[in-house]
Amino acid sequence: MKDVIICRCEEVSLTDLEDAAKKYNCSARELKLRTRAGMGFCGGRTCRPAVDKVLTSITGEDPTNNIPLKVAPPVRPLSLSDLGGVNHD
Amino acid sequence: MKMHDVVIIGAGPAGLSAAIQCRTYDLSVVVIDEFPKAGGRLLGQLHEEPNGEWWNGIKESNLLIEEAENLKTDIRLGVSVHHVERLENHYVVHTNTEHVAAKTVLIATGAAESAAPIPGWTLPGVMSIGAAQVMTNVHRVSVGEKGIVVGVNVLSAAIARELQLAGVDLHSMALPATNVVSEDQSNPRAVMERLVRIAHLAPSKFIQFGSKFATFEFVRNIALNFYPKDGIKMWDMPIHLRKAIKEINGTDRVESVTMVDVTPDGDIIRNTERTIEVDFVCIAGGLYPLGELAAVVGCPFEYNEALGGHVPIHNEAMETPIDGVYVAGNITGIESAKVAREQGKVAGLSIVKALTDNAEVAEKVDAAITNVQQTRDEATIQFHPEINEGRATISASFEQLIK
Amino acid sequence: MTKRIIDHPVLGTIENERTVTFTFDGKTYEGYERDTIASALLANDVRTIRRHEATGNPRSIYCNIGHCFECRCTVNDVSNIRACLTLIEENMVVKSGDVQPDPLNPNNEGPLPRTYEEYAERKAGDTDENA
Repeated sequence: MKDVIICRCEEVSLTDLEDAAKKYNCSARELKLRTRAGMGFCGGRTCRPAVDKVLTSITGEDPTNNIPLKVAPPVRPLSLSDLGGVNHD
Repeated sequence: MKMHDVVIIGAGPAGLSAAIQCRTYDLSVVVIDEFPKAGGRLLGQLHEEPNGEWWNGIKESNLLIEEAENLKTDIRLGVSVHHVERLENHYVVHTNTEHVAAKTVLIATGAAESAAPIPGWTLPGVMSIGAAQVMTNVHRVSVGEKGIVVGVNVLSAAIARELQLAGVDLHSMALPATNVVSEDQSNPRAVMERLVRIAHLAPSKFIQFGSKFATFEFVRNIALNFYPKDGIKMWDMPIHLRKAIKEINGTDRVESVTMVDVTPDGDIIRNTERTIEVDFVCIAGGLYPLGELAAVVGCPFEYNEALGGHVPIHNEAMETPIDGVYVAGNITGIESAKVAREQGKVAGLSIVKALTDNAEVAEKVDAAITNVQQTRDEATIQFHPEINEGRATISASFEQLIK
Repeated sequence: MTKRIIDHPVLGTIENERTVTFTFDGKTYEGYERDTIASALLANDVRTIRRHEATGNPRSIYCNIGHCFECRCTVNDVSNIRACLTLIEENMVVKSGDVQPDPLNPNNEGPLPRTYEEYAERKAGDTDENA
């Protein structure tokens, strides 16, 4: 079967995730940082549940009540001119 | 910066009905939504109720919009919120065009679709089932000549019907081929369990679909073992529970899918591959509550399967443990738009209660809470059979937390 | 525009829509006044809205409600605008997103382009060779 992309924004495949997990034997968070899965333009909105499932299945970490991969502002990509106040008072 | 009474994030059924309540009591309200039209996901909805009447999301949205506009509600569309900042005694909502300050914030951001990734799903022509719904019913553009729906659940069945109504040609509905992400969506037993449990309350054609499998487990086992080769037809469209889509093929756009037979447990049966020519594919992985803004403002979350995923902890009055932050609609759990609308009413009244000394409002909040439950009990579309248990768990967590 | 759902048994018939003219990658298209860039393009059977910045793989709408950012494009010189949330306007200039330079990639061969113009020139040269 062809490899399946999990994170569309960064084009991270299931194999990429599995290989990285095997190589570094790491936590879900570290795996995300190494592969950039869920860290692309959409902020993980599309792939977050999928990435969570893959990471849980690979690392065996329990899904907890905390959102596994932390959410931080801005939750939408922002242009520097918008952020810098060109349009603000 | 002007200080408003409330900023409502999301102009769907929850946000709009909350705005109507707040404006009725003359609070200063700003409603923000990034879609160019108010109504949220309600806009695309279109299904036949058991009484034969059509639930038309555009009409229902327009009723809410009209009422909000009559009350001179400030609705700002095409504006994206990227942060909600908590200051000492108020909130600042950061958007791409401005900062809006308010004493309270209602987060009614609804749900997002979970993906069921399959090889080839980044090709143009592959879209979420909700995308096809909006394109068909709201924008009135056909998403392709012939397509297939991957993922069989209450949402995808309802939208497949909507595509059919609009004259869009669907080959069939089938499961996604099994992988670690789609396990739950790709297991025929699990899928059938869910379909049977919703069958008793869904619109008429579902009832026929569900009754074919009866309620006994051994009947369902037989049904899966001898599942008809041509699928079971709903509105003349085959629903396949023993066939899965393994790959989506094409170079610059969808040209075909590879379909395989699967066992009742979802394992792929070898040498059953066949190619089906389609130019679009709808992926239906279900919905999950979109809580990112509640997360950045500091709401505690709880994982609750019946509610569809991680939801911000809240009580029946739609209050979160963070003073001045309210939630309503699908962010609190995946349910029908009618429930979201009633929840919005509760949230709006709770905000009025917190900001004014109006004695009659407390009673109204209680009545609105009763209405939410009643609407839930009467819902024709239910996403999870244990919704009441899920709701009770979250309310209990809220009580525990504020003790 | 054959992709329109003009008649609908429940939602009724679309009538008297005002048309709006816009361009996408230099080509002129017509859409309805209430169209988003995404719906207007699809009605004209244009699916690919951008190419992945690193791999060049084609993308179109995926979620259609602003969540996935797959349909981002450049509108009147403002980049990263979501086609699915943006209504078309008369004479709007829309451009698709394309592969971006990747100067830190160790697999790059030869001297690095020093300006974006240089990069764009070289890239155009590559395409000509392939054609």
